[in-house]
Amino acid sequence: MKPDPQRMIEVTAAHLMMRTAPALEKGYEQSSVGLLAVLLLAVREEYDRSAARRVEENRALRAIFADGARVVREGAPELAKRLEAAAHGEDPSLVISELERTNAELRGLVIDLHARIEEIDAPEARRIEVAIWAELVASTERRRLSLGTF
Amino acid sequence: MSNLETRLAAYVASRVPEARDVRVSGLDRLFGGASRETYRFVLDYDTEGGRVSRRLILRRDPAGSLIETERAVEFGAYRAFHGTPVPVPEALWLEEDASWLDHPFFVMEELVGLEASPQAIIGSPYAEHAESIARQKWTILGEIARADPIALGLDRVMTPVAPQECWQRELLRWERVIDDDELCPQPVIRAAIRWLRRNPPPPPARVSVVHADYRTGNFLCDTDGNIRAILDWEMAHLGDPLEDLAWGLNPVWRWARDERAGGLATRDVAIAHWERASGLRADPAALHWWEVFSSVKGQGIWVSGAKEFSFGANQDPILALSGWLMGNSQDRAALLQLGHLS
Repeated sequence: MKPDPQRMIEVTAAHLMMRTAPALEKGYEQSSVGLLAVLLLAVREEYDRSAARRVEENRALRAIFADGARVVREGAPELAKRLEAAAHGEDPSLVISELERTNAELRGLVIDLHARIEEIDAPEARRIEVAIWAELVASTERRRLSLGTF
Repeated sequence: MSNLETRLAAYVASRVPEARDVRVSGLDRLFGGASRETYRFVLDYDTEGGRVSRRLILRRDPAGSLIETERAVEFGAYRAFHGTPVPVPEALWLEEDASWLDHPFFVMEELVGLEASPQAIIGSPYAEHAESIARQKWTILGEIARADPIALGLDRVMTPVAPQECWQRELLRWERVIDDDELCPQPVIRAAIRWLRRNPPPPPARVSVVHADYRTGNFLCDTDGNIRAILDWEMAHLGDPLEDLAWGLNPVWRWARDERAGGLATRDVAIAHWERASGLRADPAALHWWEVFSSVKGQGIWVSGAKEFSFGANQDPILALSGWLMGNSQDRAALLQLGHLS
Protein backbone atom coordinates (compact mmCIF):
# COMPACT_ATOMS: atom_id res chain seq x y z
CA MET A 1 0.00 0.00 0.00
CA LYS A 2 1.28 3.41 -0.96
CA PRO A 3 1.97 5.93 0.40
CA ASP A 4 3.91 4.17 3.14
CA PRO A 5 2.32 4.30 6.59
CA GLN A 6 5.39 6.11 7.98
CA ARG A 7 5.03 8.82 5.36
CA MET A 8 1.32 9.19 6.11
CA ILE A 9 2.03 9.55 9.82
CA GLU A 10 4.83 12.02 9.12
CA VAL A 11 2.62 14.21 6.91
CA THR A 12 -0.24 14.08 9.43
CA ALA A 13 2.09 15.08 12.28
CA ALA A 14 3.55 17.94 10.24
CA HIS A 15 0.04 19.17 9.39
CA LEU A 16 -0.99 19.14 13.05
CA MET A 17 2.20 20.87 14.13
CA MET A 18 2.62 23.46 11.38
CA ARG A 19 -0.97 24.23 10.41
CA THR A 20 -3.56 23.06 12.92
CA ALA A 21 -1.78 24.05 16.14
CA PRO A 22 -0.89 27.60 15.03
CA ALA A 23 -4.50 28.16 13.96
CA LEU A 24 -5.71 27.50 17.49
CA GLU A 25 -5.71 30.03 20.29
CA LYS A 26 -2.59 29.71 22.47
CA GLY A 27 -3.35 27.52 25.44
CA TYR A 28 -4.28 23.99 26.40
CA GLU A 29 -5.79 22.89 23.06
CA GLN A 30 -2.90 24.27 21.02
CA SER A 31 -0.33 22.54 23.24
CA SER A 32 -2.32 19.30 23.15
CA VAL A 33 -2.41 19.29 19.34
CA GLY A 34 1.36 19.91 19.27
CA LEU A 35 1.86 17.02 21.63
CA LEU A 36 -0.38 14.75 19.53
CA ALA A 37 1.95 15.51 16.60
CA VAL A 38 4.96 14.47 18.69
CA LEU A 39 3.08 11.34 19.73
CA LEU A 40 2.50 10.48 16.06
CA LEU A 41 6.23 10.85 15.37
CA ALA A 42 6.92 8.35 18.15
CA VAL A 43 4.34 5.98 16.60
CA ARG A 44 6.09 6.43 13.24
CA GLU A 45 9.42 5.42 14.78
CA GLU A 46 7.89 2.38 16.48
CA TYR A 47 5.88 1.25 13.45
CA ASP A 48 8.71 0.00 11.28
CA ARG A 49 10.49 -2.01 13.96
CA SER A 50 7.40 -3.23 15.76
CA ALA A 51 7.37 -6.88 14.66
CA ALA A 52 11.15 -7.21 14.37
CA ARG A 53 11.95 -6.16 17.92
CA ARG A 54 9.37 -8.50 19.40
CA VAL A 55 10.51 -11.48 17.33
CA GLU A 56 14.13 -10.78 18.24
CA GLU A 57 13.33 -10.39 21.92
CA ASN A 58 11.13 -13.49 22.10
CA ARG A 59 13.89 -15.52 20.47
CA ALA A 60 16.53 -14.18 22.89
CA LEU A 61 14.36 -14.90 25.94
CA ARG A 62 13.61 -18.47 24.81
CA ALA A 63 17.34 -19.12 24.49
CA ILE A 64 17.90 -17.89 28.06
CA PHE A 65 15.00 -20.04 29.33
CA ALA A 66 16.45 -23.21 27.78
CA ASP A 67 19.67 -22.60 29.69
CA GLY A 68 17.94 -21.30 32.81
CA ALA A 69 15.66 -24.32 33.15
CA ARG A 70 18.66 -26.58 33.73
CA VAL A 71 20.05 -24.32 36.46
CA VAL A 72 16.81 -23.94 38.47
CA ARG A 73 15.46 -27.48 38.02
CA GLU A 74 16.72 -28.80 41.35
CA GLY A 75 15.27 -26.09 43.60
CA ALA A 76 12.32 -24.94 41.51
CA PRO A 77 10.98 -27.79 39.35
CA GLU A 78 7.70 -26.02 38.54
CA LEU A 79 9.53 -22.96 37.27
CA ALA A 80 11.87 -25.21 35.28
CA LYS A 81 8.84 -26.84 33.58
CA ARG A 82 7.42 -23.42 32.62
CA LEU A 83 10.80 -22.35 31.31
CA GLU A 84 11.20 -25.51 29.22
CA ALA A 85 7.73 -25.11 27.76
CA ALA A 86 8.41 -21.46 26.91
CA ALA A 87 11.83 -22.31 25.47
CA HIS A 88 10.18 -24.69 23.01
CA GLY A 89 7.42 -22.23 22.13
CA GLU A 90 7.11 -20.33 18.87
CA ASP A 91 5.55 -17.06 17.87
CA PRO A 92 2.08 -17.88 16.52
CA SER A 93 2.30 -15.29 13.72
CA LEU A 94 3.79 -11.92 12.89
CA VAL A 95 0.62 -10.09 13.88
CA ILE A 96 1.76 -7.45 16.36
CA SER A 97 -0.96 -8.09 18.95
CA GLU A 98 -0.10 -11.81 19.01
CA LEU A 99 3.62 -11.13 19.22
CA GLU A 100 2.95 -8.67 22.03
CA ARG A 101 0.88 -11.22 23.98
CA THR A 102 3.68 -13.79 23.74
CA ASN A 103 6.27 -11.14 24.57
CA ALA A 104 4.39 -10.18 27.72
CA GLU A 105 4.26 -13.83 28.81
CA LEU A 106 7.98 -14.26 28.23
CA ARG A 107 8.86 -11.00 29.99
CA GLY A 108 6.77 -12.12 32.96
CA LEU A 109 8.64 -15.41 33.00
CA VAL A 110 12.06 -13.74 32.85
CA ILE A 111 11.16 -11.85 36.04
CA ASP A 112 10.53 -15.18 37.80
CA LEU A 113 13.74 -16.69 36.45
CA HIS A 114 15.79 -13.62 37.35
CA ALA A 115 14.48 -13.59 40.93
CA ARG A 116 15.24 -17.29 41.34
CA ILE A 117 18.69 -17.08 39.77
CA GLU A 118 19.69 -14.25 42.13
CA GLU A 119 19.17 -16.65 45.05
CA ILE A 120 21.42 -19.39 43.68
CA ASP A 121 25.07 -19.20 44.69
CA ALA A 122 26.74 -20.95 41.76
CA PRO A 123 28.82 -19.92 38.73
CA GLU A 124 26.20 -21.20 36.26
CA ALA A 125 23.59 -19.00 37.98
CA ARG A 126 25.86 -15.98 37.58
CA ARG A 127 26.26 -16.85 33.89
CA ILE A 128 22.48 -16.87 33.43
CA GLU A 129 22.21 -13.65 35.40
CA VAL A 130 24.71 -11.96 33.10
CA ALA A 131 22.72 -13.20 30.08
CA ILE A 132 19.47 -11.85 31.56
CA TRP A 133 20.95 -8.42 32.22
CA ALA A 134 22.42 -8.32 28.72
CA GLU A 135 19.00 -9.07 27.27
CA LEU A 136 17.29 -6.48 29.51
CA VAL A 137 19.75 -3.88 28.24
CA ALA A 138 19.21 -5.01 24.64
CA SER A 139 15.42 -4.98 24.98
CA THR A 140 15.49 -1.48 26.47
CA GLU A 141 17.66 -0.27 23.60
CA ARG A 142 15.31 -1.90 21.06
CA ARG A 143 12.45 0.13 22.52
CA ARG A 144 14.41 3.37 22.65
CA LEU A 145 12.83 6.38 20.97
CA SER A 146 14.89 9.21 19.53
CA LEU A 147 12.67 11.77 21.29
CA GLY A 148 13.47 10.39 24.77
CA THR A 149 15.41 12.56 27.21
CA PHE A 150 17.74 9.71 28.16
CA MET B 1 -19.40 34.04 32.11
CA SER B 2 -19.11 30.36 31.12
CA ASN B 3 -20.84 27.75 33.23
CA LEU B 4 -17.64 26.96 35.12
CA GLU B 5 -16.89 30.67 35.60
CA THR B 6 -20.41 31.22 37.01
CA ARG B 7 -20.06 28.31 39.42
CA LEU B 8 -16.61 29.45 40.49
CA ALA B 9 -17.93 32.97 41.12
CA ALA B 10 -20.72 31.51 43.26
CA TYR B 11 -18.14 29.56 45.25
CA VAL B 12 -15.94 32.62 45.84
CA ALA B 13 -19.02 34.60 46.94
CA SER B 14 -19.66 31.93 49.55
CA ARG B 15 -16.07 32.12 50.81
CA VAL B 16 -15.73 35.90 50.86
CA PRO B 17 -18.87 37.20 52.59
CA GLU B 18 -17.87 40.86 52.18
CA ALA B 19 -17.58 40.45 48.40
CA ARG B 20 -20.34 41.86 46.19
CA ASP B 21 -20.79 41.54 42.43
CA VAL B 22 -18.30 38.67 42.23
CA ARG B 23 -17.12 38.02 38.67
CA VAL B 24 -14.85 35.36 37.22
CA SER B 25 -13.49 35.89 33.72
CA GLY B 26 -10.81 34.61 31.36
CA LEU B 27 -10.97 31.03 32.64
CA ASP B 28 -8.36 29.22 30.56
CA ARG B 29 -6.99 25.72 31.00
CA LEU B 30 -3.21 25.49 31.21
CA PHE B 31 -1.20 22.74 29.57
CA GLY B 32 0.62 20.30 31.84
CA GLY B 33 -0.28 19.53 35.42
CA ALA B 34 -1.08 15.92 34.57
CA SER B 35 -2.26 15.12 38.10
CA ARG B 36 -4.79 18.00 38.28
CA GLU B 37 -6.60 20.21 35.77
CA THR B 38 -5.07 23.66 36.09
CA TYR B 39 -6.88 26.83 35.00
CA ARG B 40 -6.02 30.51 35.26
CA PHE B 41 -8.77 33.07 35.78
CA VAL B 42 -9.37 36.64 36.87
CA LEU B 43 -11.48 37.28 39.96
CA ASP B 44 -13.15 40.67 40.49
CA TYR B 45 -15.45 41.79 43.28
CA ASP B 46 -16.53 44.91 45.17
CA THR B 47 -15.89 45.51 48.85
CA GLU B 48 -16.43 48.54 51.03
CA GLY B 49 -12.78 49.38 50.38
CA GLY B 50 -13.20 49.33 46.60
CA ARG B 51 -12.97 46.94 43.68
CA VAL B 52 -10.65 43.92 44.14
CA SER B 53 -9.09 42.20 41.13
CA ARG B 54 -6.82 39.15 41.36
CA ARG B 55 -5.34 36.67 38.90
CA LEU B 56 -5.75 33.22 40.35
CA ILE B 57 -5.18 29.55 39.62
CA LEU B 58 -7.77 26.79 39.99
CA ARG B 59 -6.42 23.28 40.56
CA ARG B 60 -9.24 20.79 40.09
CA ASP B 61 -9.14 17.01 40.47
CA PRO B 62 -9.64 15.20 37.16
CA ALA B 63 -11.48 11.91 36.66
CA GLY B 64 -8.12 10.16 36.17
CA SER B 65 -4.57 11.40 36.45
CA LEU B 66 -0.90 10.52 36.22
CA ILE B 67 -0.80 9.94 39.94
CA GLU B 68 -3.38 9.71 42.69
CA THR B 69 -2.61 12.55 45.04
CA GLU B 70 -4.00 14.26 48.10
CA ARG B 71 -5.12 17.80 47.39
CA ALA B 72 -5.14 18.61 51.12
CA VAL B 73 -1.44 17.78 51.29
CA GLU B 74 -0.64 19.98 48.32
CA PHE B 75 -2.74 22.84 49.67
CA GLY B 76 -1.20 22.39 53.13
CA ALA B 77 2.33 22.54 51.71
CA TYR B 78 1.61 25.79 49.87
CA ARG B 79 0.11 27.26 53.03
CA ALA B 80 2.99 26.09 55.23
CA PHE B 81 5.84 27.36 53.07
CA HIS B 82 4.29 30.70 52.08
CA GLY B 83 6.50 33.49 53.45
CA THR B 84 9.46 31.18 54.16
CA PRO B 85 12.78 30.89 52.24
CA VAL B 86 10.97 28.31 50.08
CA PRO B 87 9.02 30.49 47.60
CA VAL B 88 5.47 29.35 46.82
CA PRO B 89 2.28 31.02 45.60
CA GLU B 90 -0.30 32.02 48.21
CA ALA B 91 -2.95 29.31 48.62
CA LEU B 92 -6.44 30.70 49.23
CA TRP B 93 -9.22 28.11 49.43
CA LEU B 94 -9.42 24.32 49.57
CA GLU B 95 -12.76 22.73 48.70
CA GLU B 96 -13.38 19.01 49.17
CA ASP B 97 -17.11 19.22 48.35
CA ALA B 98 -17.45 18.09 44.71
CA SER B 99 -20.86 19.71 44.31
CA TRP B 100 -19.34 23.14 43.60
CA LEU B 101 -17.28 22.29 40.49
CA ASP B 102 -17.98 18.54 39.98
CA HIS B 103 -14.65 17.60 41.55
CA PRO B 104 -12.69 18.79 44.63
CA PHE B 105 -10.34 21.70 44.00
CA PHE B 106 -8.29 24.48 45.47
CA VAL B 107 -7.53 28.05 44.47
CA MET B 108 -4.21 29.86 44.71
CA GLU B 109 -2.46 32.99 43.51
CA GLU B 110 -1.24 33.14 39.90
CA LEU B 111 2.34 34.35 39.47
CA VAL B 112 2.39 36.06 36.12
CA GLY B 113 5.07 36.28 33.43
CA LEU B 114 7.21 33.40 34.69
CA GLU B 115 8.44 30.24 33.00
CA ALA B 116 8.26 26.62 34.14
CA SER B 117 8.81 24.64 30.94
CA PRO B 118 12.13 22.73 31.09
CA GLN B 119 12.58 23.12 27.33
CA ALA B 120 12.35 26.90 27.77
CA ILE B 121 14.57 27.02 30.85
CA ILE B 122 17.46 25.28 29.09
CA GLY B 123 17.28 27.91 26.31
CA SER B 124 17.81 31.66 26.10
CA PRO B 125 17.42 33.88 28.10
CA TYR B 126 17.35 31.43 31.03
CA ALA B 127 20.37 29.36 29.97
CA GLU B 128 22.62 32.39 30.52
CA HIS B 129 21.67 32.12 34.21
CA ALA B 130 21.98 28.32 34.46
CA GLU B 131 24.58 28.43 37.25
CA SER B 132 22.49 30.81 39.31
CA ILE B 133 19.27 28.88 38.68
CA ALA B 134 21.05 25.67 39.69
CA ARG B 135 22.37 27.25 42.90
CA GLN B 136 18.89 28.50 43.82
CA LYS B 137 17.22 25.24 42.82
CA TRP B 138 19.32 23.03 45.08
CA THR B 139 19.60 25.64 47.83
CA ILE B 140 15.81 25.85 48.05
CA LEU B 141 15.67 22.06 48.15
CA GLY B 142 18.15 22.20 51.02
CA GLU B 143 15.82 24.67 52.77
CA ILE B 144 12.94 22.22 52.36
CA ALA B 145 15.11 19.51 53.93
CA ARG B 146 16.08 21.88 56.74
CA ALA B 147 12.50 22.97 57.52
CA ASP B 148 10.81 21.59 60.65
CA PRO B 149 7.59 19.87 59.53
CA ILE B 150 6.04 20.15 63.00
CA ALA B 151 6.77 23.88 63.29
CA LEU B 152 5.18 24.30 59.85
CA GLY B 153 2.11 22.34 60.97
CA LEU B 154 2.60 19.81 58.20
CA ASP B 155 2.40 16.89 60.60
CA ARG B 156 -1.37 17.57 60.55
CA VAL B 157 -1.70 16.78 56.84
CA MET B 158 1.23 14.42 56.26
CA THR B 159 1.44 10.95 57.77
CA PRO B 160 4.30 10.64 60.29
CA VAL B 161 7.06 8.13 59.60
CA ALA B 162 9.90 6.81 61.75
CA PRO B 163 13.38 7.40 60.27
CA GLN B 164 14.08 3.68 59.86
CA GLU B 165 10.75 3.18 58.02
CA CYS B 166 11.15 5.90 55.37
CA TRP B 167 12.55 3.66 52.66
CA GLN B 168 10.17 0.77 53.26
CA ARG B 169 7.08 2.95 53.18
CA GLU B 170 7.99 4.60 49.90
CA LEU B 171 9.18 1.42 48.23
CA LEU B 172 6.03 -0.44 49.24
CA ARG B 173 3.86 2.41 48.06
CA TRP B 174 5.37 2.52 44.56
CA GLU B 175 5.66 -1.23 44.22
CA ARG B 176 1.90 -1.39 44.86
CA VAL B 177 1.29 1.26 42.21
CA ILE B 178 3.21 -0.84 39.70
CA ASP B 179 1.43 -4.03 40.82
CA ASP B 180 -1.93 -2.35 40.32
CA ASP B 181 -1.29 -0.36 37.16
CA GLU B 182 1.30 -2.06 34.96
CA LEU B 183 -0.15 -3.15 31.62
CA CYS B 184 2.84 -5.32 30.77
CA PRO B 185 5.63 -6.91 32.85
CA GLN B 186 8.49 -4.65 33.95
CA PRO B 187 11.56 -6.91 34.29
CA VAL B 188 14.07 -4.05 34.72
CA ILE B 189 12.08 -2.32 37.44
CA ARG B 190 11.25 -5.60 39.20
CA ALA B 191 14.99 -6.34 39.35
CA ALA B 192 15.55 -2.83 40.74
CA ILE B 193 12.92 -3.44 43.43
CA ARG B 194 14.64 -6.67 44.49
CA TRP B 195 18.00 -4.85 44.60
CA LEU B 196 16.48 -2.13 46.80
CA ARG B 197 15.17 -4.73 49.26
CA ARG B 198 18.54 -6.48 49.45
CA ASN B 199 20.44 -3.21 50.03
CA PRO B 200 18.40 -1.00 52.39
CA PRO B 201 19.74 2.49 53.10
CA PRO B 202 20.60 3.80 56.58
CA PRO B 203 17.88 5.90 58.25
CA PRO B 204 18.03 9.64 57.55
CA ALA B 205 19.64 12.02 60.04
CA ARG B 206 16.21 13.60 60.30
CA VAL B 207 12.76 13.12 58.82
CA SER B 208 11.98 16.08 56.56
CA VAL B 209 9.32 17.38 54.25
CA VAL B 210 9.84 15.68 50.90
CA HIS B 211 8.44 17.62 47.93
CA ALA B 212 8.56 14.38 45.93
CA ASP B 213 8.57 15.89 42.42
CA TYR B 214 11.37 18.45 42.77
CA ARG B 215 12.86 18.92 39.32
CA THR B 216 13.32 21.39 36.50
CA GLY B 217 9.76 21.86 35.26
CA ASN B 218 8.25 22.29 38.69
CA PHE B 219 9.52 25.76 39.54
CA LEU B 220 8.73 29.18 38.10
CA CYS B 221 11.62 31.31 36.92
CA ASP B 222 11.87 34.91 35.69
CA THR B 223 14.00 36.02 32.76
CA ASP B 224 16.74 37.24 35.12
CA GLY B 225 17.15 33.68 36.34
CA ASN B 226 15.40 34.09 39.69
CA ILE B 227 13.34 31.14 40.94
CA ARG B 228 10.10 32.72 42.12
CA ALA B 229 8.03 29.71 43.15
CA ILE B 230 8.18 25.97 43.73
CA LEU B 231 5.09 24.23 42.35
CA ASP B 232 3.41 20.82 42.25
CA TRP B 233 3.51 19.65 45.83
CA GLU B 234 0.85 17.00 45.23
CA MET B 235 3.06 14.06 46.20
CA ALA B 236 4.67 15.80 49.20
CA HIS B 237 5.14 13.68 52.32
CA LEU B 238 7.40 13.21 55.32
CA GLY B 239 10.48 11.11 54.69
CA ASP B 240 14.17 10.93 53.93
CA PRO B 241 15.36 14.22 52.37
CA LEU B 242 17.71 12.26 50.10
CA GLU B 243 14.59 11.10 48.24
CA ASP B 244 14.18 14.63 46.83
CA LEU B 245 17.86 15.07 46.01
CA ALA B 246 17.95 11.71 44.22
CA TRP B 247 14.76 12.40 42.24
CA GLY B 248 16.18 15.56 40.69
CA LEU B 249 19.40 13.74 39.76
CA ASN B 250 17.58 11.03 37.81
CA PRO B 251 18.88 10.89 34.21
CA VAL B 252 15.34 11.14 32.79
CA TRP B 253 15.39 14.85 33.72
CA ARG B 254 18.51 15.55 31.64
CA TRP B 255 16.57 17.99 29.51
CA ALA B 256 19.72 19.37 27.84
CA ARG B 257 20.69 15.82 26.80
CA ASP B 258 24.05 16.09 28.50
CA GLU B 259 25.33 15.09 31.94
CA ARG B 260 23.77 18.06 33.74
CA ALA B 261 21.05 17.21 36.27
CA GLY B 262 17.82 18.87 35.24
CA GLY B 263 19.69 20.48 32.34
CA LEU B 264 21.35 22.87 34.81
CA ALA B 265 24.38 21.60 36.74
CA THR B 266 26.61 18.60 37.22
CA ARG B 267 25.71 16.11 39.87
CA ASP B 268 28.59 17.19 42.15
CA VAL B 269 27.61 20.85 41.99
CA ALA B 270 23.97 20.04 42.73
CA ILE B 271 24.91 17.91 45.75
CA ALA B 272 27.29 20.59 47.07
CA HIS B 273 24.56 23.29 46.94
CA TRP B 274 22.12 20.96 48.69
CA GLU B 275 24.56 19.94 51.42
CA ARG B 276 25.46 23.57 52.13
CA ALA B 277 21.81 24.64 52.43
CA SER B 278 20.44 21.61 54.25
CA GLY B 279 23.31 21.18 56.70
CA LEU B 280 23.13 17.48 55.86
CA ARG B 281 25.63 15.16 54.20
CA ALA B 282 24.51 13.16 51.19
CA ASP B 283 25.98 9.77 52.08
CA PRO B 284 26.96 8.30 48.67
CA ALA B 285 25.61 4.79 49.35
CA ALA B 286 22.34 6.09 50.75
CA LEU B 287 21.96 8.55 47.88
CA HIS B 288 22.59 5.73 45.41
CA TRP B 289 19.77 3.72 47.02
CA TRP B 290 17.40 6.67 46.64
CA GLU B 291 18.49 7.18 43.03
CA VAL B 292 17.62 3.58 42.16
CA PHE B 293 14.35 4.07 44.04
CA SER B 294 13.66 7.19 41.98
CA SER B 295 13.55 5.04 38.85
CA VAL B 296 11.07 2.64 40.48
CA LYS B 297 8.90 5.58 41.48
CA GLY B 298 9.26 7.16 38.04
CA GLN B 299 8.15 3.97 36.34
CA GLY B 300 5.23 3.80 38.77
CA ILE B 301 4.14 7.23 37.56
CA TRP B 302 4.53 6.37 33.87
CA VAL B 303 2.68 3.04 34.06
CA SER B 304 -0.16 4.71 35.97
CA GLY B 305 -0.52 7.38 33.31
CA ALA B 306 -0.40 4.76 30.56
CA LYS B 307 -3.19 2.83 32.26
CA GLU B 308 -5.36 5.93 32.64
CA PHE B 309 -4.88 6.72 28.95
CA SER B 310 -5.47 3.15 27.79
CA PHE B 311 -8.74 2.74 29.67
CA GLY B 312 -10.04 6.21 28.91
CA ALA B 313 -10.08 7.66 32.43
CA ASN B 314 -7.90 10.52 31.17
CA GLN B 315 -6.80 10.77 27.55
CA ASP B 316 -4.53 13.75 27.82
CA PRO B 317 -1.81 12.98 25.20
CA ILE B 318 0.90 13.69 27.78
CA LEU B 319 -0.05 10.41 29.48
CA ALA B 320 0.47 8.36 26.31
CA LEU B 321 3.70 10.10 25.42
CA SER B 322 5.15 9.76 28.91
CA GLY B 323 4.18 6.07 28.95
CA TRP B 324 6.35 5.53 25.89
CA LEU B 325 9.16 8.06 26.09
CA MET B 326 9.62 8.37 29.83
CA GLY B 327 8.88 4.70 30.44
CA ASN B 328 11.74 3.65 28.20
CA SER B 329 14.07 6.39 29.50
CA GLN B 330 13.25 5.28 33.03
CA ASP B 331 14.27 1.68 32.31
CA ARG B 332 17.53 2.99 30.81
CA ALA B 333 18.09 5.14 33.90
CA ALA B 334 17.57 2.13 36.19
CA LEU B 335 20.01 0.07 34.13
CA LEU B 336 22.59 2.86 34.43
CA GLN B 337 22.04 3.22 38.18
CA LEU B 338 22.41 -0.54 38.68
CA GLY B 339 25.66 -0.58 36.72
CA HIS B 340 24.42 -2.38 33.61
CA LEU B 341 24.55 0.51 31.15
CA SER B 342 27.67 2.50 30.43
